Amino acid sequence: MILQVEELTKQFGGLVAVNGVSFNIAESEILGIIGPNGAGKTTLINLICGFFPATSGKIYFNGQDISRLKANRRAKLGIGRNFQSSTLFMPLPVIENVFTGYHLAYKTNIWARLLRLRSARDEENALRQKGAELLDRMGLGAIKNELTMNLPHGHQRILSICIALASNPKLLLLDEPVTGMNQNEIETMLTLIREIRNSGVTITMVEHNMGAVMSLCDRIIVLNYGKKIAEGLPKEIQENEEVIEAYLGKE
Amino acid sequence: MFKNIFSGRKKFIYPIIGLIIFSLIPLFVHSPYYLDLFIMMIINAVLGMMFIMGLRVGLINMGIIAFWGIGAYASALLATKYNVNVWLCLPIAALITGIFALALGAILMRSQSSGLAFVMLSIVIGMVFNVAIGSLSFLGGWNGIPNIPPPNSIKLPFLAPIEFVSKVPFFYLGLLIFVIIILISYAFYASSIGRAWRAIGMSPRLAESTGVDLFKYKLLAFVLSASLCGLIGAFYAHYQAYLLPDYFSMWQNIYVQIYVILGGPAFAFLGPIVGAGVMTFFPEFIRNAREFAPVFTGAVLVLLIMFLPEGLLGLGRYRGNVTRGIAKLSSILERKARRA
Repeated sequence: MILQVEELTKQFGGLVAVNGVSFNIAESEILGIIGPNGAGKTTLINLICGFFPATSGKIYFNGQDISRLKANRRAKLGIGRNFQSSTLFMPLPVIENVFTGYHLAYKTNIWARLLRLRSARDEENALRQKGAELLDRMGLGAIKNELTMNLPHGHQRILSICIALASNPKLLLLDEPVTGMNQNEIETMLTLIREIRNSGVTITMVEHNMGAVMSLCDRIIVLNYGKKIAEGLPKEIQENEEVIEAYLGKE
Repeated sequence: MFKNIFSGRKKFIYPIIGLIIFSLIPLFVHSPYYLDLFIMMIINAVLGMMFIMGLRVGLINMGIIAFWGIGAYASALLATKYNVNVWLCLPIAALITGIFALALGAILMRSQSSGLAFVMLSIVIGMVFNVAIGSLSFLGGWNGIPNIPPPNSIKLPFLAPIEFVSKVPFFYLGLLIFVIIILISYAFYASSIGRAWRAIGMSPRLAESTGVDLFKYKLLAFVLSASLCGLIGAFYAHYQAYLLPDYFSMWQNIYVQIYVILGGPAFAFLGPIVGAGVMTFFPEFIRNAREFAPVFTGAVLVLLIMFLPEGLLGLGRYRGNVTRGIAKLSSILERKARRA
């Protein structure tokens, strides 16, 4: 088990956004989290990556209790994430976005970096090169010098994942990776996500697009009003009475 | 041959040429009055640069003059009361300012939820500072600290010793500190620390998700900018030879913002130099109407924010658009003339 979530609860004032949710994520699987709007899916992602502390409950990453760690410490341990909206370094070129994402990759002494010694400059060039290779692999190699704000939506979403991959995560949290994309872009994104998984990264994704979730995920969790109402294989979820009820309402 | 030396280091040519030209000023400007304005311009430019350093990580530091003042008072006190060598006072003053900033910043930076809390608290620091100094008798109260000694003379072999009696040696000392401050700032900006700062300024959430410790890096920017303010403040104290609490009022903070906005907040070094240059000499050009200078300043600030939010240097980016616009306009006029 790479991640264990136990009885996780998050309250915003009187609103219980996530209510006693428990689940596990196995190594190199793709777990889908679905649910109607306002079910607490994005809150759950934010809790796992550490943007705010849980009201109660525990999160274990590779057996280590990370419930009280800040987001940057969790990133260091190997939890990466993308962003739903266009949270990118907009005024910078594409390659600089990825390069900035290599914050955890520096090995040289801080004084060598401040004095711009040869070792530090070589390291920077190596990281830039690595960033360019990452962009090539993700299909953004041709536009690496464009300004990020000029990119189409689909490319920005892929770039968001590239930045997350730069911190070398073991667990990648994807928040609605294909929302607002056309069919071509969705196909590209699904292929990329499979490739990332095949390179050894465990993936957890929140998504509204049922087609994408059903074709991609090994296992699915369904949330409704902050509670887990079902868990299982895509096929089981599709036939689950309670899930159908949550989405379509009672007959 | 020059090509070999400078290849790949082109971006350093213009700053070096600029520095050489600037260092020649005392050869042509002999009036102590105008030399004083140049020295004040250097000091103001540093304050603007340090404001921008805070801005990089999204901190709008409205109390920057307080740290300038801490450096000035620390150095003045060490030199007058404890007879410490002035050359030692300068770095010690920077260190003391840094310690103050560390203590204050550790508290201020806790309010991570929004930048507004920091802005409000830094305004409080900016407003309280000169009142606090004025009411502390061991800092000279409202009468200030008189008779602050200049730096000890530098003895050089075969040459006359450099005595800090006229404006010229102070001009070069100020310029030297100015260059040191720029080099230190540049080292940070160009390193991974500078990139982390930039990332925080553009998107704190995204920066945090790539592993940047927001608290640590924001605190570092705050403390570094404050202690460099303290360094130039210490220089100011020994240059003025006299300190009054009134030098460190809230108005000065507002002026620092104007240097930055006028030059262009995106230009970490050149922006404040241009802004401070204009704003230091501008009141002299309208000397007949000096009482109205603040009114002009206010009007300039409002117009800048409305029409030129990227500052004077931001105009460079629109140059292409302007020429294209003129070309289009002339072609329209031509067509009209032909039709007539």
